[in-house]
Amino acid sequence: MAAPMEVIVSSDSGSQLWNCAVSELHSGSSLLSYRGGNTACRGLALLGSDYILGAQLGKNFINVWELQRKDQLQQKIVCPGVVTCLTAAPNGLYLAAGIAEAVYLWEVSSGNLLAVLSRHYQDLTCLRFTDDSSHFVSGGKDNLALVWSLASVVQLDLNHTPEPRHVLSRHSLPITDLHCGLMGPQARVATASLDQTVKLWELSSGELLLSVLFDVGIMSVTLDPCEYFLFCGGSDGNIFQVSLCSQSLSRDKAFQSDNDGNQVFKGHRNLVTCLSVSMDGTLLLSGSHDETVRLWDVQSKQSIRCISHKGAVTNAVITPAPANMFLPDSRPAAALPRFSRHLHTSEGEGGESGGVCVRPGLFTQDEDETHLQKAERLYSLMNAVTDKAVFGDGENTKVRVAELEEEVQTLKKINKDLYDFSSQLLTKPT
Amino acid sequence: MVTRSGTAGMKAKKKKRQDDFQKVKLKVGKTKPKANNATNTNFRTKGIHLSEQLRRDTSGPTTHRQLGINDLLSQLHHYNANVKQSALLGLKELLSLNPSLVEQHLSRLLSEVAALFTDKDGNVRMAASRLLRFIAQCVPAERVAPFFPLLSAHLSCAMTHIEPGIQEDAMKILDVLLDHYPALLAARPAILLTNFLELISHRRTSGGAKKPQETKGRSWALSVNPTRAVTSQQWRLTVLLRLGRFLQAVVEERPEEEGDMSVSSDGVFGSSGEGRITPLDLNWEELSYSKTGVKVYEHSGAKPTPHSTYRLRPEVDSGAGVGEGLSSAEAVQSFAATLVPLLLEMWVEASANDCPWNSGEGAHLLTPDAMSVMFQVLTILQLLRKLAPQKEDQDALDAWFRNEYLGDFKQHFMKNFPYGTRDTPKHKKKLDLKRSKQTAAVPGQTVEPLALNITLCQVMVFLSQRQGLGRDNDADWLIPLRSFVRDTLANEVKLSYKHLHMLLGTVWRMVLTQRSKTVTEDLLAAVYVYYQQRNLTLQTRSLLLSFYSKLYLQEQGHTHIARSKMLCRWLAALPVQLAQLGHRNPALSARLILSIQAAASRGNKDLLNGLQTHACRLYDPQEGVVVLLPAESQQRLVQLLYFLPKMSQALLANLSRCCTAGRISAGLAASLIRIVHLRSSLSGWSVGSQEAALQDVDYISFLFSSLTGFSADELATLQEAGDDSVLAPSPLSPLSLYPTPLEQFTHHWDVVEEVCHCLETLGSQSQCFDILQNGICKYLTRLGVVPDSMAAGLLRAVARLLDLSILPIDPVLRFLSQCCLSLLALLITLQQEAPSDTNHKREAIWGACVSALSTIPRLLRMVLQSLRVGDLCEEELPQLGQILSMLLQHTPLRNHLMANAALLQHIIQDLTRYSRGETREQWLTDLLYCYSVTVAHGSTTHRGNMGLRDMY
Repeated sequence: MAAPMEVIVSSDSGSQLWNCAVSELHSGSSLLSYRGGNTACRGLALLGSDYILGAQLGKNFINVWELQRKDQLQQKIVCPGVVTCLTAAPNGLYLAAGIAEAVYLWEVSSGNLLAVLSRHYQDLTCLRFTDDSSHFVSGGKDNLALVWSLASVVQLDLNHTPEPRHVLSRHSLPITDLHCGLMGPQARVATASLDQTVKLWELSSGELLLSVLFDVGIMSVTLDPCEYFLFCGGSDGNIFQVSLCSQSLSRDKAFQSDNDGNQVFKGHRNLVTCLSVSMDGTLLLSGSHDETVRLWDVQSKQSIRCISHKGAVTNAVITPAPANMFLPDSRPAAALPRFSRHLHTSEGEGGESGGVCVRPGLFTQDEDETHLQKAERLYSLMNAVTDKAVFGDGENTKVRVAELEEEVQTLKKINKDLYDFSSQLLTKPT
Repeated sequence: MVTRSGTAGMKAKKKKRQDDFQKVKLKVGKTKPKANNATNTNFRTKGIHLSEQLRRDTSGPTTHRQLGINDLLSQLHHYNANVKQSALLGLKELLSLNPSLVEQHLSRLLSEVAALFTDKDGNVRMAASRLLRFIAQCVPAERVAPFFPLLSAHLSCAMTHIEPGIQEDAMKILDVLLDHYPALLAARPAILLTNFLELISHRRTSGGAKKPQETKGRSWALSVNPTRAVTSQQWRLTVLLRLGRFLQAVVEERPEEEGDMSVSSDGVFGSSGEGRITPLDLNWEELSYSKTGVKVYEHSGAKPTPHSTYRLRPEVDSGAGVGEGLSSAEAVQSFAATLVPLLLEMWVEASANDCPWNSGEGAHLLTPDAMSVMFQVLTILQLLRKLAPQKEDQDALDAWFRNEYLGDFKQHFMKNFPYGTRDTPKHKKKLDLKRSKQTAAVPGQTVEPLALNITLCQVMVFLSQRQGLGRDNDADWLIPLRSFVRDTLANEVKLSYKHLHMLLGTVWRMVLTQRSKTVTEDLLAAVYVYYQQRNLTLQTRSLLLSFYSKLYLQEQGHTHIARSKMLCRWLAALPVQLAQLGHRNPALSARLILSIQAAASRGNKDLLNGLQTHACRLYDPQEGVVVLLPAESQQRLVQLLYFLPKMSQALLANLSRCCTAGRISAGLAASLIRIVHLRSSLSGWSVGSQEAALQDVDYISFLFSSLTGFSADELATLQEAGDDSVLAPSPLSPLSLYPTPLEQFTHHWDVVEEVCHCLETLGSQSQCFDILQNGICKYLTRLGVVPDSMAAGLLRAVARLLDLSILPIDPVLRFLSQCCLSLLALLITLQQEAPSDTNHKREAIWGACVSALSTIPRLLRMVLQSLRVGDLCEEELPQLGQILSMLLQHTPLRNHLMANAALLQHIIQDLTRYSRGETREQWLTDLLYCYSVTVAHGSTTHRGNMGLRDMY
């Protein structure tokens, strides 16, 4: 199988023609563009491999497109306020949006609003999930970044207000951007702030590992996949590269006559608002308020390509292309439900049983039994069988055995049919 | 005798030959003749003693009694107590003279001395404990560690000895060990704890008839030993004191399990709340020059760090009882179950002993002895609570205490609650004296009633539970506590730091557990009264500050705190306090700023209003705190600006003066400008709904005044200044320049760069330039005296903002050309003086002039036009020549100069004409050469530049 194709998804605040554009990473050829409205800063999210979501700039709704139908809005999710940041869990099950000073968390499969977390004191600026979707981090204008564990936030007990797992409170001015590294709960989190520092935290303990003070406020931050380098986009248009594992400090020093400047990407003329690194760590994408998106070679620090936009760039991401993006005939695996605007209460959903109804694909199942009920049924069935087997007479047993063997045969046949059918489907070229 | 032997000699000689083999005849009754070779033994010997010499080269130094260490150590086994005692004294003498011996013989020393802890003779024990203290003073804990099991074994032996005297002296030894090796003692607490119990009580024999009310934990009972020299109460006090210190050591040795969480619940607001990892603090400049290496990930991040708060499920508990020490919650609990009844008994006894006529009114008055026993009881209770190994255990322990003992505590402790000292009548004084002499060995005798009461508050308040759990019956005993706390704080009693800390801890706990608005208001008001006292020490003041700010940070989820009026009042008053404090106490100011920042970042209305009203005062360029405090506080103050809801014109004027006056560093000035930029509507970075703090007009005028760097008043005074401070105008330098000091120049230059960057990013450059030139036209063109930094800054800004499509208006151009020419003239004079420290200044000026001249071709023409060679005096001619040749040598200007070739030619002709020197001077030769090169170059590329003329 070939390496997954990576694409650039970018959006700006001024374009009339399209909302966000998708182009190929290496060739730069434009592939797709989605129409309608403009997306706010840090307001673009890919939901699984089916949908793309963009928070409308200055309005209180989120635009949703199906990935393959670029022209048509699938729906608008109306929110209680202007969405300042939006993110989807990498596993595609949850959607989090920052609205004023609260984090709204939806369950994608049902559209229920699971939690409204208002621990921040001022507007949120950024939200990120860890790569395993187990935690998310929110940063706000109140200088705080909060680490939330998804499991503790999503709970049925509404009386219990969820507490953040850690409060990262060492910044002294609003947080502008944050980045979650890899490795789930063991990840490192980088936060950038207007106080001219970038700080690196350990997610598991909430401890500060590193703080780098710059000459200018930092508007965006990212780590490369190996976490060798920290890229920090400054408010003066420079992008600074901090090496996180400098080993041979003295060895190559003699050859570098001019050490200054070889760790700075120079080219933008205004705030660098978004940064992203390609999967192999060789290419850096940056979007700026000077209405350009630039692609840089990390090794040589040269600008490879400059894509002009019609307004300040609000989002620019390098992401592996979802399969559905280029198949016009494909359909999303699951339809997106209506997203509710109010906190989901357990009374609404006939609260006769305390159990949770887990339905990963809503439309593939139609029975409404909970797992507990199923288990109970199965148990009674098994009991009945054993009762019969143990206490029934010999003849009855023989008949029973024959019946069961027959059933096994039919089941095997069904299984084979299924297998044949699916292998046929898979091997057939599309 | 000699003569006889002489005569016999002859004969003997003769005989000898044959007599050799003759048989000696021995006869009975005759004495045996002496043999010839017999030794004469009738002499006497006398010895010569050189003991010192001998000793010195064999076995090291000695005492004044000439005893070496080996002798002394062996004497310790002597049966005679006096010998042992003098050996101990000798050892002490020897070791203090030769400290190196301690190192060499530590193992023997300790084992021998420890063996004497249980000596029968009191003096020996005394000397042994003194020697131990001496050794402990000079040996660090890690070197004693291998011998410590031995020491503690002997100590236990002494503590459990049947002889009361030995037990008492064991306390002294324990003192020594507690003083010097608390960590080692605390490492193995199990045996010692039992020993402590046995010192004051005895185990009930199980066979005795138990009274029905005695519950399961009470298998120990207080013991009384009538043979002791001191009363049993005093004895218990001494034991309790040590127990308290020992538990303290155990608590202190506990590794901090939960950093921040326990801080918030304990109310240890004195601590800074720093993390456990010391983060790496780097600076971009150092980093980019690779001065510092970054190594963030140990073992490349493959394993989770030890600080991770995620825990694997604990392994199966090894069945830990009391015997296993205090490492588990159950162990602590069972120890407490044994100890607390004893403590209660002691308390009862103390209070009963004290008031034999116990009849109501005098019951709360105590003698000092009783008071100190009670105090110790409470201290130990407090420590017991802290012994819980983990935070969650602590809660469980609190609940357990509450369940088991709340009734007892209420009955005994709260009965006569605010305790006081009883005034002892005069006639008792003699007796007291005697007693105090007797018990002089016991430290901590005098306990103030205040300390007792405060400790009682603290012990009791931790038993209170969160309201709303169904039990509201705490009120009856909490009310007296509350009123005591309130009165103590509000009556401006002098409190020591420690007491205040404990009181605030009580308040903290009450506020958090009671969750009632009235209680909160009541207590906080009392604290506020205390806070408002004038003459508090720095330590106290900052304790109070951090109490308030930590409390404020707790507000989430506690509406009664968030809505507290007292807290709001405190917050609103912070900016005033900061302004009033000025530069007198930077440390306190830093604390204040931290609190302000925390509240400001949360958008607290009261604080922001306060900040807004006092902003002008805080950011005053002359005596505002922003210029008075050290750099770190300055930075925080500048960051505070971001949170101001509105920036008035007056404030902006102040800020601009702050930037330019040079009392804050250039870097800070740059970040100030950037923050103002961010808060304007023009910055473009706005997330969510935050209104711009300042109007665009104000913002632009702020930028413009920062760009000029001098206020209108200063410029006005400069115009009238005498000639001594400014360079006089001349035909070559049409403006008279005011040479700013180098430092100010560089500062201003940095500010100009930042302002230019802000102006560039504003949006439409042409509009921006329009505004700038209007400003110059309106305020600056009429000036006769211009500071050189301002002139250079203006040229720089114009060059950066202008593109070819915009044409500046004439008056501005004229002013700029004057600036440019004056600066070039200044440059020449600076070059002649040529001190290397003006290098930066020269480069800046030259860069500004050249970039302006090359971006605005009309400016160049105007400069050339204004050069009238005829008006110059003779010594200015070489200067002009130098200016021209510098311009000609600058390649980017070459094309523009060629566009003005006629003008240039005219000037050069004039120059050659006017310089009437017989010999052609060097400068002229240089100029002519440069000119010819330029012309030659120009003619070849002439065709390409035809279009250039169209611009004029």
